[in-house]
Amino acid sequence: MNRRMSTGWVWTAALVLLAGLAACGPKKEPPPAPMMEMEKEEAPAEEVTPAPTPSPVGDETPAILDGDLMAIQERITRMGLMGDVYFDFDKYELRMDARERLRKNADFMKEYSTLVFGLEGHCDERGTNEYNLALGERRANAAKDYLLSLGVGASSIRTISYGEERPFCTTHDEACWQQNRRGHFVVTGRTDR
Amino acid sequence: MRIRRSLALALLVVCAFVAPVASQTGTEDEGSEISIVLDGTARSRLRLAVPDPAGLEKLSPEARRAAEEMVDVLRRDLEASGVFIVQGPDQLAVLDLTGDPLTDYLLYESLGNKLLLDADVIEEPGRLVLEGRVFNLASASSVLGKRYRGGFELARRIAHTFADEIVFYFTGRRGVSLTSIAFHSDRGKSGNREIYLMDYDGFNQRAITAHETLSMSPDWSPGSDFIAYVSYLGGAPGLHQVELRSGRKSAILTEGDFNISPAFSPDGKAIAFSRSVGGGNTEVFVCNRDGSNLRRLTNSRGIDTNPAWSPTGREIAFTSNRSGTPQIYVMSAEGSDLRRATSLGRYNDGAAWSPDGTKLAHSARRQDNNFDIAITDLVTLETRYLTESAPGSHESPSYSPDGKKLAYAANLTSRSGTTTQIFTMDLDGGGRRQLTRYGNNFAPSWSGYPKQ
Repeated sequence: MNRRMSTGWVWTAALVLLAGLAACGPKKEPPPAPMMEMEKEEAPAEEVTPAPTPSPVGDETPAILDGDLMAIQERITRMGLMGDVYFDFDKYELRMDARERLRKNADFMKEYSTLVFGLEGHCDERGTNEYNLALGERRANAAKDYLLSLGVGASSIRTISYGEERPFCTTHDEACWQQNRRGHFVVTGRTDR
Repeated sequence: MRIRRSLALALLVVCAFVAPVASQTGTEDEGSEISIVLDGTARSRLRLAVPDPAGLEKLSPEARRAAEEMVDVLRRDLEASGVFIVQGPDQLAVLDLTGDPLTDYLLYESLGNKLLLDADVIEEPGRLVLEGRVFNLASASSVLGKRYRGGFELARRIAHTFADEIVFYFTGRRGVSLTSIAFHSDRGKSGNREIYLMDYDGFNQRAITAHETLSMSPDWSPGSDFIAYVSYLGGAPGLHQVELRSGRKSAILTEGDFNISPAFSPDGKAIAFSRSVGGGNTEVFVCNRDGSNLRRLTNSRGIDTNPAWSPTGREIAFTSNRSGTPQIYVMSAEGSDLRRATSLGRYNDGAAWSPDGTKLAHSARRQDNNFDIAITDLVTLETRYLTESAPGSHESPSYSPDGKKLAYAANLTSRSGTTTQIFTMDLDGGGRRQLTRYGNNFAPSWSGYPKQ
């Protein structure tokens, strides 16, 4: 009995969580705040240090912005701080794994809000070249819209579609095609210098 | 370089002469023999013997090379025209020619030939003179005679010019041997794409941009004197143009983050293209030739892109995924009277209007996710697939100005891997000819007729 009740509570919580996720889709409409609160609630409150910076990124703070853009990019890539987001075949809707990745990216972008990122939309070779340019534009903007909904500043992101013209991988199989259906982040500037 | 080229062309003296034999022959006689309905099928093609020209052995080595190339190009052009089946020296070798014209005509006829192209090549200092005559073998009469003079480097050009004259004589429409095809290629520095030009037969390939970024999607202006294209110059894709005579490049429209797929209107006054509005939503626009006066033609939440003007300029075909998958639609040039053109298959893109405005060639995805070149009739809405039997993917069809051929890009798999190359083919899917070999090559755009 008690067990069933607690299961019911978990389902309710899950539904609330899902509703929150759905509300944070590509549309800019819903405010980002509830989403972030939900995220934080998942972690035990007492264990989080009162400092506003999250610990894993915060520890690296002095080093992240050292050097030129290339050095910063290299560091971000090595530490996996701005991971790519992947898309389904012919689609530009954000998958759950893409949203999860973008939430991490958003945290980093807000932390280092002086960095400006190019957000590249890429496609696999199985569409037509012309249509893929538009599809890549749509993918990049789907990711951008979600980041904006999470509170990232619009001036931190500049989208650019490469369609299928700059593939990451050039073999002709699904593993490679999935690699190429991506939104990819590149540091293109910083506003504090 | 280009100016020198035009000067050289000006030196190409073209003079037609009426052959004495022809003037003695009644025109009715020629007409009755040659008035065959030419629909491009093998049965209706005229058999034409083109033996090697007389006097080759008297030429200097350089002149001989040029003369041999000239006759070779002439044969290829005539065969490619779809009007003739050409018999060259290999097929004619079985004949025991006598040197007596009337006897030899009978011998040529014995192999099924209706016509003979008799060419003489004469060397003048630094240049060649080609005298060519077409004989109707049945009536033993000359029906067409032309003389061309030009430098050795113009051998191909002379051949193309003569081939087009012959095609015009027998069909009443201009041949396409002097037309060009624009495309983009990654053959240069890795990752970059530049705009290239080539003759219709794949010769004379040369880059016309060196932006060292992505440059693609070329489209000819109606007079074939400009090419509009997309380039990522400055970071974002924008519309640019190059004037071919001067090589001068300029921006048409770079405002905004995303402007692609330029297409000149048939009167040359406007450019249709697609452009991203709020949140990556690509819509079809039209602007003036100079990039001003933007007018939005489409309004859907889906992707709208890749516009193509009808030959009259009254309609625009484009691709939209408003129904859920990419399909081709047609609307008026003002954006009204929308109708869907493709209904078969889950993915159709890249519409190109046939010059008579009755059909759209396009790419159509098949079950294995490769693309076929297809032609959809705009009246019956029936779709015909041209490349079903060929492996790999086929995209970006572009009609020749006479509407008899399509250029397209297709995968080619060899031991060294799969590349994309440009081909041409007849409208029945036959007569395929590979035009490019180096790197990957995309988005062919066939020019109109050159100015006369």
